[in-house]
Amino acid sequence: MEALQPFRKTLSDRHEAAKKWKSRNRPVVGWTCTYTPEEVIYAADALPVMVWGSLGETNLADAYMPSNSCSFARSCFNAALRGDYDYLEGFVESTSCDNREKTYDMWVNYSKVPNIYLINTPHMNTEQAHRFFHQEVVKFKEWMERTFKTQISDDSLNYAVGEYNKNRDFLRKIYDLKSKKPPVISGTEYLEIALAGLVMPKSEHNALMSRFLGEVEQRSDLPHDGLRLLVSGSVVDNTELVKLIESVGGTVVADDWCTGSRYFWNNVDLGSKDLLEAIARRYLNKVPSSFMYNREERFKHVKELAKRFDVDGVVMFVIKYCDTHMFDAPLLRDELKAMGLPVLYLEWEHSMSGFAGLKTRIEAFIEMVGGVK
Amino acid sequence: MSALDRRLKSTSGFYKNYVKRSYEDAHCAKAEKRPVAWVASTFPVETLQAMDIVPVWPENYASVCAARQVSVELCELAEREGFSRDLCSYSRCVLGSIFGSEKELPEGGLPRPDFLVATTSACDTHMKWFQVASRVYKVPFFVLDTPYNIGGGESEHLDKSHIDYYESQLSDLFDFLEKQTGAKFDRYKLSQTLALSSWTSRLWTEIQDLRRNIPCPMDARDAFSAVFFMLCLPGSQVAVDFYTQLRDELRQRVKEGIGVVENERFRLVWDNLPLWYNLRIFEYLNSLGAVVVAEVFSHTWTGTLDPDRPYESLARKYLPNMANSTIQRRVNIVLDLVKDFHVNGVILPTNWGCRMMSVGETIVKDAVYKKLGVQSLILDVDSSDWRVAGEAQVKERLATFLETLNR
Repeated sequence: MEALQPFRKTLSDRHEAAKKWKSRNRPVVGWTCTYTPEEVIYAADALPVMVWGSLGETNLADAYMPSNSCSFARSCFNAALRGDYDYLEGFVESTSCDNREKTYDMWVNYSKVPNIYLINTPHMNTEQAHRFFHQEVVKFKEWMERTFKTQISDDSLNYAVGEYNKNRDFLRKIYDLKSKKPPVISGTEYLEIALAGLVMPKSEHNALMSRFLGEVEQRSDLPHDGLRLLVSGSVVDNTELVKLIESVGGTVVADDWCTGSRYFWNNVDLGSKDLLEAIARRYLNKVPSSFMYNREERFKHVKELAKRFDVDGVVMFVIKYCDTHMFDAPLLRDELKAMGLPVLYLEWEHSMSGFAGLKTRIEAFIEMVGGVK
Repeated sequence: MSALDRRLKSTSGFYKNYVKRSYEDAHCAKAEKRPVAWVASTFPVETLQAMDIVPVWPENYASVCAARQVSVELCELAEREGFSRDLCSYSRCVLGSIFGSEKELPEGGLPRPDFLVATTSACDTHMKWFQVASRVYKVPFFVLDTPYNIGGGESEHLDKSHIDYYESQLSDLFDFLEKQTGAKFDRYKLSQTLALSSWTSRLWTEIQDLRRNIPCPMDARDAFSAVFFMLCLPGSQVAVDFYTQLRDELRQRVKEGIGVVENERFRLVWDNLPLWYNLRIFEYLNSLGAVVVAEVFSHTWTGTLDPDRPYESLARKYLPNMANSTIQRRVNIVLDLVKDFHVNGVILPTNWGCRMMSVGETIVKDAVYKKLGVQSLILDVDSSDWRVAGEAQVKERLATFLETLNR
């Protein structure tokens, strides 16, 4: 489908949009946690881009980070050491998990990025936590203004929140295309669209998604109608796993990734008098990641997705060494099984090393579930 | 003087007299229906002590299980329930112990908690692990969400918004404790506990300072036992009494010039945790003329508490904890220790299931070498899961490291 091509191109040249933005003398700011209030960066006329790793070895990072550290964080840091992110003028990290706190130390000590900021992110969404995080978002705005010698006006904040909310609306619409039977788009196609939005300006991403939505209902090349699966995991920054699942007879119709459904499920209240407060509130109240105290809300989200998208099974894919997801895994697994859903639990390096073994396990699972169905 | 004569008198029988006793007390409290709470380190335990709640420390229990050589089989029980082998070995060990072991557990197992308390300060694991336990036992769990000490500042340089957030949760905590125990919060009792805790801290600091002497009068093995009071029962008279006795003995040792070893050749700093299952490794170091004169762990828990400003001073004690700070704080602590304790080598053990302790050791190592020209050894181990690194391998690495220092 033609309207998919721009997303694919963005992904294959993932630094292009950022470099283009920078060529017009506007800063690019990297982030890694989906609790980063990107709206504030965008409102400063800076481009927020998510920092990603890449598949394969992380030799450069391994010299500094031990093999029991988050393999996603290690891969991102490897990319930084390789020079992939030399164009960044800012890097924003979040205290959401131990691995991220440690990543901050690594980037401060060993990367070339000139401005690095760490946002204090509460692990709860009580009223006190909202008050605290509001102040943190205000401080972050002030840091952006100081660092990039700019003023963030109410108008620009309004514009940024508007674009981000629109972005989430589009993503939800596109996501929902997979609830149809047969699904109108594949999990891989959806992920290509969603991930592209993390490394390009939201206004452009919105325009592309609008065009895509205009054309998709008429598409004649419907994707393969495979076994309907939900993938629950920590973070995803590439399409390899979903491609793999879809190459052996599955269709990923729903997901529980921080860069997947958890990224766009909730909007910022644009009608709020204090937009920074509304932004802060949105992040703490969104479908939680596993580092948040209110883990039952994530479980509920996953279970609702499983029902609404009528899935046949769940693949739980936790990137090593994500403690918070690993702690949640046995309980979430049990709750999904109690719904009658078969579950495959996998812990894997971000590098996807041992790919053949991974493929065998997924194939066997799909065969087993498909056979029962 | 024989090695036996060199052993400290006050720490002999420490486990039996104090640690074992604390478990007996907790089981006894449970039987008498007095409130028992599970606590994770970096939680302001003084608040519980001031409410006559008996604190029980699962982390300490895991170290006990490791010392008794049963931690791995308990870890395996948790792994069988689906908890990853890459998770914190303390948490696996304790979860294993509550999922049920056919064998008799050390100290009769952990008493069932009436409720649990933890912070988000030291690590993600505390909250996630206790969430699991709280579900297993079906008891309430209070989390004190702790802002990360980003600037790495010490207690006098903390962000006001951090202190405010912390303090507001302390008042919620006392509401929670009142509700759980049916007892009234007593301001006077809190003041007393805080005063005792400050006293404990002062004594502990004096004890550590005495170890600057050459030869060093106290080794890591004793320190890792004795730190029990700093961590688990800081606001108590028994802590004050014990530390006074220990300090006096150390003073005497220093006066007489008696050190841990006869011929002290290497003075080392030890970061993070020991190998609880193999504390004899310190004796092995001694046999090579090396003494661990300071542990970063022993320089993490002190703080002065002001009974007139209880909430604020608890915030100022616990927020700057090394585990809640950027790596610069750990770097500064190690640099100070190397200088002040006349150290010629640093051991940086990682901990397989612990990101906080494992990531960043290269930064410490680089800083210590660059600033002071002192070498460090990063040792890949786990505090309680001996499957991570074999004894022969650990000994070999330590011995090789000491040889490099010799050159």
